Amino acid sequence: MEPLARQYDDVWLVIPVYNEETVIQAVVKDAMTVFPHVVCVDDGSPDGSASAIAASEAHLVRHPINLGQGAALQTGIAYARARAGARYFVTFDADGQHRVEDAAEMVELARTGAADVVLGSRFLDEDTSSVPWVKRIVLRVVAALSPAARRLKLTDAHNGLRVLTRPVADDLRITMNGMAHASQIVSYLARSDWRVAEHPVTIRYTDYSRSKGQSLVNGVNILFDLGVRQRGA
Amino acid sequence: MPDPMIVQLLLLVAVAALLVLFVRNRHGVRVAAGKRVALVLFALVNVYAVIRPDDLTALAQAIGVGRGTDLVLYALVVGFLSVTLNQYLRFQGVDARVTELARTLAVREAEIVNRDRGLLVGPDARAVPVVPGVPDEPGA
Repeated sequence: MEPLARQYDDVWLVIPVYNEETVIQAVVKDAMTVFPHVVCVDDGSPDGSASAIAASEAHLVRHPINLGQGAALQTGIAYARARAGARYFVTFDADGQHRVEDAAEMVELARTGAADVVLGSRFLDEDTSSVPWVKRIVLRVVAALSPAARRLKLTDAHNGLRVLTRPVADDLRITMNGMAHASQIVSYLARSDWRVAEHPVTIRYTDYSRSKGQSLVNGVNILFDLGVRQRGA
Repeated sequence: MPDPMIVQLLLLVAVAALLVLFVRNRHGVRVAAGKRVALVLFALVNVYAVIRPDDLTALAQAIGVGRGTDLVLYALVVGFLSVTLNQYLRFQGVDARVTELARTLAVREAEIVNRDRGLLVGPDARAVPVVPGVPDEPGA
């Protein structure tokens, strides 16, 4: 093996954290076997997430109040952008459902210069049986119905694992604080000229991540927020 | 008896116009002035309606609504919708500002904390504004 820490010295992993005190340390430890720079944004969790992060090797950024996952992502990217030498920004989930190997492969793809943005997709691989069937159908329908996702020919519209290159991270402004940020990012990419690639990823649906995952009912809130947001905001 | 279509059309147009108005240009001075004038007018019309309910009923029948109170109810629904929407958008604006404030604070504090934890060494090569503004030149 190559000295991995050096190889990924220009990569920053951004992990939004809300009430993940039981798992966050393991997730950080796992991620840091590959990526030397990890920033966890504690989104004002009432539990011990912040102290758990502080006890790890990850950078800790703490929202003084709870703002939502989109806001936490934007904060983490802002923090990472200010660090010297940061060229790739990976958004990663705190609940352990993403695999570090997938993130590393996506960074390598971005490094070839073939794409400005690499999005994880659960549906590029033939075998999608690990995805719960309700989720599988709903995500597929969303990807098929969303004009932005269609324009980008995405197979998975709401995957939390993404790699942004520096110019994209500098330009992106996530203003949807809640869960609508995923749709906002996709529509931003659709309107921009960035080259977007998808890369197959495997999501580990554990009981824990299942219990933390966003419910499909929340889709109603997302649609409302996206629909009524001010134009040009 | 006039066609009830008239009032239906009026109400639907009013709701659609309000939606477009609020979502499009909320910060315009004219829109803000318009809202205030509309509020005062609405109050005055209501005072008039209380004093002379028969006039209101006559107007209501002229545009296809049965009673004057029904007309007031419809107007109230339109007014309520516009107030709700106005509040929603106003809260979004407040939200955005609170977010920027909290974000700036969080990043400042994190830089101190993480420096103390030994994770940040030396001055950073570049300062990046956390507030939305002019993005940095890519590759600068």
